[in-house]
Amino acid sequence: MVNVVNFVREHWVHILCPMGFVIGCYLDRRNDEKLSTFRNKSLLFKRELKPGEEVTWR
Amino acid sequence: MLKIIIPTIMLIPTTTMCKPTQLWYTTLIHSMLISLLSLQLFYPSLQPIMNFSNHNMAADQTSTPLIILSCWLTPLMILASQNHLSTEPLSRKRTFIITTIILQMLLIMTFSTTDLMMFFVLFEATLIPTLMMITRWGNQMERLNAGTYFLFYTLMGSLPLLVALLSLYSNTNSLSILTMQLSPTMLKNTWTNSMWLLAALTAFMIKMPLYGLHLWLPKAHVEAPIAGSMILAAILLKLGGYGIIRIMSTTNFLSKTPYYPFMILALWGIIMTSLICLRQTDLKSLIAYSSVSHMGLVTAATLTQTEWAYTGAITLMIAHGLTSSLLFCLANTNYERIHSRTLLLTQNMQLLLPLMGTWWLLASLTNMALPPTINLMGELTIITSLFNWSNTTIIITGLGTLITAIYTLHMFSSTQWGELPQHIKIMAPSHTREHLIMTLHILPMTLLMMKPELIWGPLYC
Amino acid sequence: MNPHANMIIMSSLILGPMITITSNHWIMAWVGLEINMLAIIPLIAKQHHPRAIEASIKYFLTQAAASSLLLFSIINNVWNTGQFDITQSTNTMSSTMMTAALTMKLGLAPFHYWLPETLQGTTTMMTLILTTWQKLAPLTLLMMINQSLNTSLLVTLSLLSMMIGGWGGLNQTQLRKIMAFSSIAHLGWMTMILTLSTKLTLLTFYTYITLTTTMLLTIKLLETNKMSTAMTSWTKSPMLNAMMMLNLMSLAGLPPLTGFMPKWLILQELTKNHMTIIATTSAILSLLSLFFYIRIAYYSTITLPPNMTNYSQQWRHKNQQKPYLPLMIITSSMLTPIMPTFMMIM
Repeated sequence: MVNVVNFVREHWVHILCPMGFVIGCYLDRRNDEKLSTFRNKSLLFKRELKPGEEVTWR
Repeated sequence: MLKIIIPTIMLIPTTTMCKPTQLWYTTLIHSMLISLLSLQLFYPSLQPIMNFSNHNMAADQTSTPLIILSCWLTPLMILASQNHLSTEPLSRKRTFIITTIILQMLLIMTFSTTDLMMFFVLFEATLIPTLMMITRWGNQMERLNAGTYFLFYTLMGSLPLLVALLSLYSNTNSLSILTMQLSPTMLKNTWTNSMWLLAALTAFMIKMPLYGLHLWLPKAHVEAPIAGSMILAAILLKLGGYGIIRIMSTTNFLSKTPYYPFMILALWGIIMTSLICLRQTDLKSLIAYSSVSHMGLVTAATLTQTEWAYTGAITLMIAHGLTSSLLFCLANTNYERIHSRTLLLTQNMQLLLPLMGTWWLLASLTNMALPPTINLMGELTIITSLFNWSNTTIIITGLGTLITAIYTLHMFSSTQWGELPQHIKIMAPSHTREHLIMTLHILPMTLLMMKPELIWGPLYC
Repeated sequence: MNPHANMIIMSSLILGPMITITSNHWIMAWVGLEINMLAIIPLIAKQHHPRAIEASIKYFLTQAAASSLLLFSIINNVWNTGQFDITQSTNTMSSTMMTAALTMKLGLAPFHYWLPETLQGTTTMMTLILTTWQKLAPLTLLMMINQSLNTSLLVTLSLLSMMIGGWGGLNQTQLRKIMAFSSIAHLGWMTMILTLSTKLTLLTFYTYITLTTTMLLTIKLLETNKMSTAMTSWTKSPMLNAMMMLNLMSLAGLPPLTGFMPKWLILQELTKNHMTIIATTSAILSLLSLFFYIRIAYYSTITLPPNMTNYSQQWRHKNQQKPYLPLMIITSSMLTPIMPTFMMIM
C-alpha cells in the first residue's frame, strides 16, 4: 500500500498529458457530433445510417 | 485537433511540476508521444476535404505535414538542447522547455486555423517565444542585435499584411479560407489590387526569406541556440511558404505581372546565396544561407501557382525542414566540442568522431538532393514546374543545383577531411543522445520516400 | 504631509475629473479641470527637491495656459452660439482652439514638451497618476465634443504624436521618461480614432490604463528608474522581471497580447473608412515604440548572466508581496481572446 502511495506521489505528473488527450478526445467527439447533427439537418447533405454503422460522420 | 493541442498544453504543468531529475526524459517522452499521436492526422488528409476539428480549425493536405513536422521537432529540440542547458539552473531549464512547448502549441494552431486573421495573429504570436529563445539562450553578445533584426524585419513586413487583411475583410466580410475560395475577389488588375498583393506577400517573403529580405536569417541562425536554429530552419521559415500558398489559393488574381519582381529575386537568390555559401567561413552561417537558397526554390514554385509547383513546394519544405535541422544539429555537436563555428578549426572530424562522419555524409547527401530522399523529389518537381512556366529558368535552377552540390561538398570535405587541427588536445566522444537525434531526423526522410503521397499536398487527391 | 491637507488634496483630485465628466455645462467642466489641476500641484511638489518643484511649475504653467485657452474658446463659443452645452460646441474656431487646449492638457504632440520633464521630476506613483487619472477629464471632454472636431486635424496630431512618442523614447535611458513618450504614442492612437468611434477611444484608454499601471507598479516594486538599474532587477523578483517583458511586449502591441486588441480594432475601423495609408503608417510607427520597449526588455530580462551570481544582490531591497500585481499582469497580457465580449459590452 505504501508502495502504491509512494509510486503515485513520485509519478503523478505523468498523468497530465494522457488526461489532456482524453479531454481532447471527448471535446473532439462532441464537436463531431454537433457538426454532423448540423449537417444532417440539411436536405442536400444528410445521410442515413448504413447497416452496421454507429455514427454518420465517418 | 484538440486531442493534440490539449495534451500539448498539459505538457506545461507537467514540465513545471515534475521532479528535477526526471525533467528531461519526462518532457521528452510526453512530447514524443504527442508527436506520434499527431500522425493520425495523416489518415483523414488523404481524402480531398478539409478535416474539421471545430469551426475554427481544420487540417488539409497542405497543412497536415507541417503540423506533424512541428510536433516532431519538439522532442528533437528537447533532446538537442540538453547539453547546451546543462549549466543552467533548474528553473531556467524549465522555462526553456516551456518556451519550446508554447512554440509548438502556437505553430499547430497557426497551421490549422481556418481564418486568415487568426492565422495572422498566431503567425505573429510565434515571434515572442522565438525571440525569447534567440535572445535569452543564445551564446554571444550579438544575439541581441540578431533578435532585433529578426523582430523588426518580420514586423515591418507583417503590419502591412494586417492592414491588407483588414481591407480585404471590409470588402468580403469574411476571412475564412473555406469560403473565400468560393468568392470571386480581387480579379481585376488595378493599382490598388497590386498594392494589396504586394502588402500581403511581403510579410511571407520576409519570413521565407526572399533574397534581398533575408539579412535577418543568417544573423538569427548564427546567434540562436541549437533549439532556436532547429525550429527556425524547420518550421518558422515554412510559415512563409504556407502563408503564400494560402493567400494565393484564396485570392485569385488574373494578372501575373505583380509576381515578377518576387520571381526574379527568388530565382536570382538561388544563385547568389549558393555562391555566398561557397565563401562562408562560419558553419552555421553556411547552413543558414543554404536554407535561403532552398527556400528561393519554394518561393519561385509557389508563385507559379500550378498544382505540381505546390506539390513540389510542400515536399521541399518538409524535406528541407528535416535536412537543415539535421545539419544544425551536426554543426552543434562540433560547436559543443570545439566551441567555435569556424570551418577551419573543425577539420578532420571524421577521425575523431567516426560515426558522426556517417551522419555528416548522409546529411550532405540529402542536402544536395541525392536519389532516395524526398529532397530530390521536391526539387525535381519544382524544377519541372518552373521549366513549364518558362523554359529559360532551367539555366538558373540547374546552376543552383550544381552550386548546391559544390558547397555541400565543400562543407563536408572541410569538416570531415583535411589536417587535424593542432589545438584539439582533448575531445568528448559522441553521445548516444546525439546519434538518436540524427537518426530521428534521417528516418522520416527515408521512410517518407516509401509513401510520398503523405506530403504531396493537394495533387494526390 | 499633514493628513488633513492630504485628505483634502486627494479628495479634490478625485472630485475634479468627476465634476468634469458629469457636467453638461462648459463652466462646470472647466471648474472640474481647475480643481484637479490645483490639487495635483502640491502632490507633484511633495518631495523637497528642486526637480520636483521644477516639475510642478512646468505642469502648472502648461495646464494654466491650456485652461485659459479653453476658457477663451468656451466664451467664444458662447458668443457665437448662445449656449453653454458641451455637446453643442459647433463653432469651428472655438472647437479648433478647444482641441488645442485639451491636447495640451493631455500632452499630445506638438504640446507634449512638459510631459517627460514633469514625469521625470516626480515619484513613480505620481507618474502613475499623471499618466492615467489626469488624462481622464480632458479625454472625456474631447469625446463629448467629437461631433464638431476636425478629423484631418486630429489625425495629423495623432500621427505626429505617434512619431514623437516613438522617436523621443529612442534616446532615453530613464524609465519614467520612456513611459512618458509611450504615453504620448498611445494618446496618438486614442485621438486617431476619436472622430470615427469614441467607443474605440475608450477601449484604447482602458487598455492603456491597465498596461501603464502594471508597468509603473512593476517599476516601483523593482525600484528600477533607469536602464542601468534594470540590469540588476532580476535579483529582486525573477518572476516579476520575466513577466515585465511580456508586459512591455503588450505595451508595444505585439499580437497575442492585450495591447494588440485596441490597435487591431483601430486599424480595422480606419481601413473600413478607406484610410488605408494612414492605417499602415500608424501601424509602422508603432514599431518605433517597440524598439525602446524591447531595449528595456533586453536590459531587464534577456541579458541575464548565464549562472546564478552571488554578487550584485541588492540585499537592502525589501521584497514586498503585492497580491494585485499577478492579476494585473494577467489582465495586461492575456486579454485579447475575450475581445468579442468587449465588443458586445462596449
